[in-house]
Order: sequence, then structure tokens, then C-alpha cells
Amino acid sequence: MAVRTAIVGVGQTHHTTKRNDVNVAEMVGEAVRAALADAQLSVKDIESFIFSNMEAFEGILLPDHGIIAEVGAVGKPGFKVTGGGTTGSEAVGEGCHMISAGLYDIVMIVSWQKHDCGDATAGISAAAVPTFAKGMVTGAVSEFAKQALGYMNESGAREEHAAMVRLKADRGACRNPYSHLKLGLTSVDEVLKSTYLVWPIRLYDFCPQSCGACVIILASEKRAKKIHKKPVWVADFEVVHQEPFRAGSFGDPTGTETYSQHVACERLYKRNGITDVRKQVDLAEIYEPSTWEEISLYEHLYFCEKNEGWKLIEKGVTEIGGDFPVNCSGGVLATNPIGATPVIRIAEAALQIRGDAGEHQATRDIKTAVATALGGPNWTALFLLKRSL
Amino acid sequence: MAEGSPAKQPEQPEYIRIKFNLPRPYNWSTGRYLGKLYAEAKENKKLVANRCPKCKEIHLHAPTPVCPKCKVDMGWDWVELPQTGTVFQYTYQVYPLWDPHVGGIFADPHPPAIILLDNGVYLRHRLEETDTKKLKEGMRVQAVWEEDYEKRGQGFQDILYFRKIEE
Repeated sequence: MAVRTAIVGVGQTHHTTKRNDVNVAEMVGEAVRAALADAQLSVKDIESFIFSNMEAFEGILLPDHGIIAEVGAVGKPGFKVTGGGTTGSEAVGEGCHMISAGLYDIVMIVSWQKHDCGDATAGISAAAVPTFAKGMVTGAVSEFAKQALGYMNESGAREEHAAMVRLKADRGACRNPYSHLKLGLTSVDEVLKSTYLVWPIRLYDFCPQSCGACVIILASEKRAKKIHKKPVWVADFEVVHQEPFRAGSFGDPTGTETYSQHVACERLYKRNGITDVRKQVDLAEIYEPSTWEEISLYEHLYFCEKNEGWKLIEKGVTEIGGDFPVNCSGGVLATNPIGATPVIRIAEAALQIRGDAGEHQATRDIKTAVATALGGPNWTALFLLKRSL
Repeated sequence: MAEGSPAKQPEQPEYIRIKFNLPRPYNWSTGRYLGKLYAEAKENKKLVANRCPKCKEIHLHAPTPVCPKCKVDMGWDWVELPQTGTVFQYTYQVYPLWDPHVGGIFADPHPPAIILLDNGVYLRHRLEETDTKKLKEGMRVQAVWEEDYEKRGQGFQDILYFRKIEE
């Protein structure tokens, strides 16, 4: 990128099932205040705001309505982004674009979802074009069931491996003060007792709907070092689009192989000279709506060879103390305020690089991390973060 | 709560609930390409798709004016698809979820499936058989259409489901 961009402040709310004590604006305000405190900035220092929320999931189509005053954005430039699962990464990406283009030095990404106001599955089903998607999907669960079946058949992975992913996520969530689901699970059997939603996806195989907000403050190189003593650099990012529900297109009937993931990785890794991800990157915060998707992503993001993803979880490689920790925070399986979910991935990866993740800080020193997102019409977003450029 | 105090329910705050129930009269345009699929289904009980002039791939979900791979104009090359195929993959809903197309919590009893049509095109639809023990991959199936002309006009949904056939 022409001008280097750094993350100089992160803040998030505690994520929960219900936040009936606050409205959207008040909830978002908590994360804004936390991020400003982290960056030691006043809201007056913010030059532009980008809002990230998935429309329709709270039943409205103007999600920024009613929060502008609370976040201190009155009279400031900016816009909103709404792109399904990747909404938050697109918003952070746009912030980087603004700073790289030299438009502003300090940009705030404000992301949230307040699921107690609505229902994400209804939102997803309603968001799909009714003239050809009606009756074909039940939100995201049915899609991930198809992927899970496809993956199981090809790779030889068993349901036990998916259960191990939930156990890892739950251990992370229990260490993370902000995470939503802290189930305290102790055994694979416990996970395998949970009910099927859409076979073979169990309740514990899938992410929750959370209420929460996350805010990231981005700054130009010129300002970053003066704002924060540990700025985290956005070394590069890539966002790739793909049309959904094209069973059979791109040689992929089940959606197990996502074209946009391959393209995004190829470009990002090539530009940054990454040939062996697990050697050249220290940690990942990935967007895993289901346990099966986490295993599948290990392969699609080239953390391992094809059909070997389940071996990484079996060997503990991706545990907090492993060689290549993935989702120390508990990930999407534990916490999922959709508009904020990808922003949390980037924020958590940044905290790991700073060494500020607290109880869920990875054992090994994290200098470089990737943060990912997927969603909407099969978008893939990849961010490469570094301690120093 | 202090130790030893009598067990009682924590006080629930009282919420004021505002009713939010707006009927929304949406009118979606199918467009020329998807409209062709709708018209053939309604008028002739045929499933059609368009084919890219360059890569010759048939794009079913959904017909578009531009090939997603080659990014060239698709032209107007329509293919009638066979109405028989084999079940490539199926799943089934166990837990009812909110479905806005139904207007409530709903579990579709008909298992969603990916059907490999006899010309090699994959179709996402659903199966008639609701007894999941009787389902298997590779099962031969045939489309069952809505017979009432007035009820057709729902595109892919003019096919009610795919029925198991013996051959």
C-alpha cells in the first residue's frame, strides 16, 4: 500500500445473547469509548467514521440511524458497509484505503450487531434474492451442512474432530473476558451429545448469534507511532468476491471448495513472499461459522495439505500453546455479532501481536498474524498484520 | 446475594415492548434471463438453463447475462435440462429455525439435496422422501411438478420435489 496504515486502538463490548439494558447506540458507544481509551485519543481526533453492520439482521435497513450522535460522528465524513459475513473486514479495508489514499490520518471503524433485536437466520434467508434462492436455504446452517458432508466424505475426518474444534474454541472463550459462549465443555462426548440442527451440523458445531460491538482505530504511519507505543501494521489485505449458490460452478457442487478463498490466498501470499504459511506467519484469527469450516479453512488457507486439516486439530498444532495457534479468542464459534465478527478477528490478532491478549495470549511470541472473514455472496477477506514492517 | 438469604428469583426488569409488524409489499423483477426460466417452468413444466458460448458451461443457479467464469455475454443459448438425475448429496433439517418465507419457525420435512441431473448439471432442490433412513446417495430421482397452472410461477419451486424412481 502506498501509505502504511496501523491499528492504534481497539475496543470491544462484552458479547452476550441479550443486551436489553441498552439500545444499539449505547452498546456501540461502549466499544467506541474502549477504543478511544486504548488509543488515548478524543473522539474529536477522529477524522472519518466507517460503520459496519449487517442490514436486516435487526429488521431495519438503515442501521447507522440513531447512533451517529452517540459515537461522535455528527458532521464527520464516512459511510457504512454492509456485506454479509465479511462486512467488518470490508470496513477495515476501506479505512486502510482512505488512509493510503491520503484522505485522512485517523479513521474509526465502528462495527456491531445486536441480535436480540432480530434474527440472523431470518435475515440471511430474507437477504437472499427471493426469485431464485427461496426455499433453497435455511440461513447459513444448511450451507455449512453441505460443506461438512462434502468434507467428511473426501477427507476421512470424523465428527470427533469437529468436536475437538469446539473444545478448543470453548477453552479459548473461557479465557477471554469478552467472549459470549463459555460452555465449560470437557469432553468430545459432551459435544457429540448436542442436538443436530441440520444433519450433520450439531448445535455445538455452530456459531451463536451475539450482541456486541467492536471498534478499531486506524492511523497513518505519520501519526501512528505518536499515538500508540505498540502500533500494529496492516501489511496487506485482499478481498475477493464470488457469487453464491452456484452448485456445480467452479467444479464445486457442495461449496466445499470456495473459489474466492483460493484466489485471495494466492494473491496475498504471493505479494508478501509467503510460501509456507505456518513457518512465515505466527498465528491466525479465522472466521469459522462452524467447527467443520475451521478444519476446512486450515486447508483452504494453506495452513496444511489437502484433507489434512483434521490432523492439525488432532495433534494440537492450532491450540493456544501450539506451533500455530488459531483463534485463541474462542473465535466465531463462541462469539458472533455478525457486523463486528471480522473486526474482532483483526482486533484479536492485533492484541496478540501487541502481547496484550491477557489470559488468552498465545504461548509463542506473535509477530505476524493473518485475520480472515467469509460470508455474504461468498466473499473472502484476508488481512496480514505485523508488529513491524 | 448474601450467603444464607432465602433463595428467590432475581428481579426481572420490566421492558416496554413496541410492536414492529410491517407488511412489506415487495415486487421483485426476475429479469430477462431468470424470467425465461420462470416462464418455461410455468407454461411448459420445463427446466431450462443458459450456456456460455465460450466455456460451454451451463449456469443454472441462476441464469445470468454474463458468464461468471469467462465474463463474456452469454447470448441466448438455452438448454432444456433432463428431469431425472441421481442424488449427489442430501441433508435434513432436525431443528426448526426461523424462516421468513414461511413467516415462522419451520423445519422443512423435505430433505434439501444436490441432484446431479443426467446431463451433468448440479441442481439444488429437495426430496419427496421424508424418512431419512430411506435416503441414500446415488438414489435415482425424478422431478415432480406442481400440476395446478395457477399455482405455478414460482421458478425452481414449480418443481415440488424430486421423487425416487426405480429403473
